[in-house]
Amino acid sequence: MLDPLIRLWVDVSGAVFEGAVQPALYAAGLMMWADDVQEWLDFALLGIVQIVLVYAVCRPLEAVRPVEPVSNRAAVLTDVFYTLLARLGLLPLIAFVLLSSAERMLNGWLADAGFVPPTLETLIPALREMPLLALLLYVLILDFGEYWRHRFQHMFGWWYALHSVHHAQRQMTFWTDDRNHLLDDAIAAVWFGAVALLIGVPPAQFVLIVMLRQLAESLSHANVRLSFGRVGERLLVSPRFHRIHHGELSAGEDGRNYAVLLPVWDWIFGTADFDRKSYPRTGDPNAPESLATGGWLRQQIDGFRELGRALRRR
Amino acid sequence: MRLRPLMIALALLAPAGARADLVYVLNSGEASVSVLDAATREETRRIPVLREPHHLVLTPDGSELVIADSGGNELLFVAPTTGEVLRRVRISNPYHLEFSPDGRFLAVASLRRDQVDLYDAATLELLQRFRPGDMPSHIAFTPDSKRFFVTLQGDRSVAAFDTETRTQLWTAEVGKDPAGIIWHRGRLIVGIMGADHFVTLDPETREVRPAFTLGRGAHTIFPSPDGRALYATSRVDSRLAEVDPETLQVRRVWNVPGGPDCLTFDPEGRIWMTLRWSGRVAVLDPARPDAQPAFETVRVGRSPHGIFFKPRREGVGGDFAQAMPGAVSGTRPLSAPVPPRTVPAAPLPGGATPAAARPAP
Repeated sequence: MLDPLIRLWVDVSGAVFEGAVQPALYAAGLMMWADDVQEWLDFALLGIVQIVLVYAVCRPLEAVRPVEPVSNRAAVLTDVFYTLLARLGLLPLIAFVLLSSAERMLNGWLADAGFVPPTLETLIPALREMPLLALLLYVLILDFGEYWRHRFQHMFGWWYALHSVHHAQRQMTFWTDDRNHLLDDAIAAVWFGAVALLIGVPPAQFVLIVMLRQLAESLSHANVRLSFGRVGERLLVSPRFHRIHHGELSAGEDGRNYAVLLPVWDWIFGTADFDRKSYPRTGDPNAPESLATGGWLRQQIDGFRELGRALRRR
Repeated sequence: MRLRPLMIALALLAPAGARADLVYVLNSGEASVSVLDAATREETRRIPVLREPHHLVLTPDGSELVIADSGGNELLFVAPTTGEVLRRVRISNPYHLEFSPDGRFLAVASLRRDQVDLYDAATLELLQRFRPGDMPSHIAFTPDSKRFFVTLQGDRSVAAFDTETRTQLWTAEVGKDPAGIIWHRGRLIVGIMGADHFVTLDPETREVRPAFTLGRGAHTIFPSPDGRALYATSRVDSRLAEVDPETLQVRRVWNVPGGPDCLTFDPEGRIWMTLRWSGRVAVLDPARPDAQPAFETVRVGRSPHGIFFKPRREGVGGDFAQAMPGAVSGTRPLSAPVPPRTVPAAPLPGGATPAAARPAP
């Protein structure tokens, strides 16, 4: 059933790469990265699809059942800029360039130490014949890793200083998901890379996993009065569930509902709040005003300042 | 061409049930290996691998096909006649690999750990690890197996290694982003991917000379099994060139959209090439005078890279390309010429086998 779609995708991305991206790489003297950039192109093209899909789903929901009226359109526009940067693959591309040499060096050290990074399929050979189950396990493990990264973002003061860029938004919409400090994004990439090193992540599945996760995250940030019901709230992070996490009283170390995709982690580790009637005001009262209403560059600079203050307080 | 009606008539009279030749295609962007029926051009099977298979090579005795899954950190040993996965060996990030012509060594280049490993081919014991520089890419041995060479994509150079002393001998700058490399009549020919041409490198003097110009993204080069032509690809301008092995003059150029990359040959001399960006394999018969654009394409998986033609007709081994008369070039050259012989014909569509085919030129 998916074959025609996959073939269409291969044809479109191949044509874009061959017709535009590869000639540009050649002109820029970057042909040595051609194979890697081909993978990156998936993120960029899927990012466009994601933005269209998310807009088509979330915008009508926000219009029909908003939690609050949109009173600060400038703050939303800043989030739109964050989204374009992240989902069109620009940030992943920068991270790739910065981390590529380090990754090759690390791989060399590991090989010298006699360590061959495993994959889930080498640890559980039966998974070689069950790709769907393997995909579900990858989602589960990666989501578990994301839950703990998110908890650490709130647990350590210096890390929350960066993460407060995300939490300072008082006008939360589906665009807010990618509102992150660059350094926070870089740490997230290293974190994810470490998990990937431990279990291995298949490239095709990786793209799919990231896409599903980002779609769910966009919806969970939407300004919409939507709960998934008594059972659904425990299966998938809903806009209501995540709004509690963004509530003013949930900023910093007092956080609740850290899960990114699957609320089961909050359930297991005692951080869940399943109050299905609650749609609190969002924002971080302790964050500088610029983190809430400043432009992208101002927020990046002030994020670093907050980080410096947090480190000096230690 | 005049033989074709006769061959078809003979095919109709021949006994059915002959096994079709196979073509193995590594889908580097889809974690799988496509197995094609060479006669019908249809994919008959897809072998799942872990992550990212790029290159493959036949073992010196022709009994196993070794597939390097770089992202999956595995070598897969496959029975080339059946496609059965015989065993898997854990090796960190194997990208390109090559056996020495005498069968003693296996060299593995790792693009993502900046290392080149030399293994005992029989036991796969690691004999030596080299750290020659940035992004080791493709490998070529000398016919006497005493030396091998690796392109370093990130360092604009080629590194030389000695298999006996297990040392790195030298590094020579050849041009921006060097990729494919072969040993050819006492010299090396290297594709300069960051430019539009190939160069020759004299391994004794390390003198680098322009060889021929093909098009932007000059990439790989392969000798035809009969040694009468070299075939080179460029990935940005998507071209395939036939090159005179004596003069290195370009004889013909075909435009093959889709990013032609690796090649393999069938015993009839047809060229099977992977098209990286279009997810297809192209089949081109250079014997046809009207060969532009007379090539057919076969849909495979995403980003197809390495490719290998496995004849299954009687009397032709998987290593026929190395055993053809004149096969004195290539990444696995023979140390001594072999006597000429006639190549049995391929089965035709429908499973029948023609009684005769044209002899190797």
